[in-house]
Amino acid sequence: MNLQLFIPELTLAIFAIAVILLDLFVQRKGVLAGVSVAGLVISAGFTLTMWGSEPQTIFNNMLAVDSFALFFKLLFTGIAILVILASVDYASKLTNLQGEYYALVLLSVLGMMLMAAATELISIYVALGLTSLSLCALVGFLKDSKSSEAALKYFLLSAMVSAVLLFGMALVFGVTGETQLSKIAQVIQAMPLTNITDNPALVLGVVLLIVGFGFKIAAVPFHMWVPDVYEGAPTPITAYLSVGSKAAGFAVILRIFSSAFGLPEWLSLNWGMLFAVLAAISMTLGNVVALPQTNIKRMLGYSSIAQAGYLMVGLATVGILPTADVLGQSAILFFLASYTVTNLGAFIAIIAISNKTNSDLIQDFSGMIRRAPGLALALTLCLVSLIGMPPAAGFMAKFYIFSAGVHSGLLWLVIIAVLNSVISAYYYLRVVKVMWFGEPTSTEKVFSSGALRFSLFITSIGVLLLGILPGLVMKLTEAASKMLAFLP
Amino acid sequence: MATDYIYIALFLLAAILFVVTTLLIPVTLRFLKIIPHNPTPVKGSPFECGVETIGKTWVQFNLRYYLYALVFLIIDVLVVFLYPWAVNIRHLGLTGLIEMLILLTIVTVGYIYAWKKGALEWK
Repeated sequence: MNLQLFIPELTLAIFAIAVILLDLFVQRKGVLAGVSVAGLVISAGFTLTMWGSEPQTIFNNMLAVDSFALFFKLLFTGIAILVILASVDYASKLTNLQGEYYALVLLSVLGMMLMAAATELISIYVALGLTSLSLCALVGFLKDSKSSEAALKYFLLSAMVSAVLLFGMALVFGVTGETQLSKIAQVIQAMPLTNITDNPALVLGVVLLIVGFGFKIAAVPFHMWVPDVYEGAPTPITAYLSVGSKAAGFAVILRIFSSAFGLPEWLSLNWGMLFAVLAAISMTLGNVVALPQTNIKRMLGYSSIAQAGYLMVGLATVGILPTADVLGQSAILFFLASYTVTNLGAFIAIIAISNKTNSDLIQDFSGMIRRAPGLALALTLCLVSLIGMPPAAGFMAKFYIFSAGVHSGLLWLVIIAVLNSVISAYYYLRVVKVMWFGEPTSTEKVFSSGALRFSLFITSIGVLLLGILPGLVMKLTEAASKMLAFLP
Repeated sequence: MATDYIYIALFLLAAILFVVTTLLIPVTLRFLKIIPHNPTPVKGSPFECGVETIGKTWVQFNLRYYLYALVFLIIDVLVVFLYPWAVNIRHLGLTGLIEMLILLTIVTVGYIYAWKKGALEWK
C-alpha cells in the first residue's frame, strides 16, 4: 500500500489535532486561523502534485486517488480556506472555543475529501458520518436558542437520514453481495433482467440511496431542514454548508451512480428520470418559496435548493446518456465550481455587512452602495451570477448544464429550468434594488477586516474568471469526469 | 418472484395477530368475571425486589457525572481496542505497534483537552 497517496488527508488530520493542542497552550488565538489555513494550503499543495498521475486505489480499493477525487479535494480545501478567512472576525467573538471551531472545520473537510475519494459503500458511510457530526457541532456553535434549534434539527434529521441511507446500502449489498462499487456494477450488469421492476429490492435500495444523498444536497422533498439550519447557524458555517456539504453530496452521487448503477439501461434510464423529476420540483419550489423571504440567509437557503435543482438536470443527463460521453458529469463539476465561488462570495459580503449592522434582514441592506460600495458591488456581482447572467460564472455554468440537458433530449426539463431562472431574477434583483436605490438607514460607513476583503476579492475574481475564461476550468472538469469510467 | 413476498405478508399477519390476541386475553377474562377486581394500596404500590421504595423515581444527578462518564467511555473503548491488539501482537508486529501508538496519541490529545478544559475538576 502506498501511504504517499494519502498525504493530503493525513496532513489535515494532523493539523486538526495540532490546532486543538495549540488552542490549549497559546494565549493569542489569532494564530489558530493562520495554522488552519497553513494546513489547508499544504494539503492542497500535496493534492496538486498528484494531479495528472495514473489513477490508483489505496486501502484495499476503499479509496480512489484519481482526477475526480483530486478535483473535489482542491475544491473542498479552497472552500475551507475562504470559510476560515471569513470566520476570523466571527470567531474572535467566541472567546474560549476558537480552537474547536477551526479544528471542526478541518475535520469536516477531511470527511468531505474522503467522501469524494471513497469507492466502497462502508467507507462512504464512515466519511459521511465524520462530515455530518462535525457540521452538526459547527451549526450549534453560537449556543443561542436559534443556533441550538438549528443544530438539534440538523442532528436529528441527519441521524435519521443516515439510517435510511444505511438501509439502502444494506439492500444494495443484499442484492449484489458486494460493497465495492465496481463489483456491484459487474454483478448488476450480469443480471438477466430487462425491466427494473423484476428486482424490487434493488429498486428500493437505489431509491433509499437517493433519499439519503438528496438530504445532503438539499433536494426537494428532503429540504425541510435547509431554511431553519441556514438561518440559525453562524453565517460562515451557513456558507460552508451551502457549498461544501452540497458539493460533497454531488461527488458521492456522481461516483455511486456513474460507476455502480451507470450501465444497464433498464436501471440508469429510470434513476435518470427520477433525478429529472426531483430537479423540476426542487427548482420550482426553491424559487417560488424564496420570493416572499425577508431574511437574506433564508432567501439564500431556498435559492440553494433551487440551485440543487439546476445541478440535478446534470444528474438526469448522466442517467439518460450513460455511455455517450461525460457531458453531464463535466457540466455538474463546472456548475459546482462556479456555484462555490458565487455563493461563498455572496455569503462573505453578507457576513461583512451584517457584522456591523447585526441584522440579516433584506431591508437593512438599504442604500448599502453608499455605505459600503465595495461590498455592495461584490454582492451584486454574486447575485447576478446566481441568476445566471453574463459575464458572471453562473451564466457559463447554466449554459453548460442546460446544453447537456438538451443534448440528452430533456427539453421539457430545460424549459422548466429556464422559466425558473426568470422567476429567480425577481428575488435576487430585489436585494440589488434595495442596495442601490434604497435610502440608507444611517450615514455610517461599513468597514470590514482585511481577511474578509481579501476573501471577497478572491471570490469576485473567481466569479469573473469562470464567466469570461471558462475554458481552463472546463478542461479540468472534463479530465476529472473521464476518471469516473475508471473502475478499480 | 412476487410469491416470495407472501411469506413477509404472512409474518406480518402473524405478528399483528399475536399482539392483538395477547392484549385481548386479560380484557376477555375480566369481561367473563374470571379475574377479580379488588385493588388495595398494597397491591398498587411499586414492587421492586420486595423492598419498600424510598423517595421518588425522578432523582436528579449532578451534571459532572456526565463529563466523567464521557471521558470514561473513551478510555473504555480504547481498552476494548487494546485487548485484541495485545493478543495478536506477535502477528501484527511493528506496523500494529505504530498503528496502536497513533490511536493512543489521538486519545491522549483528547485526554489532555478534557484535563485542560477542567472536565476533571469537581466544582
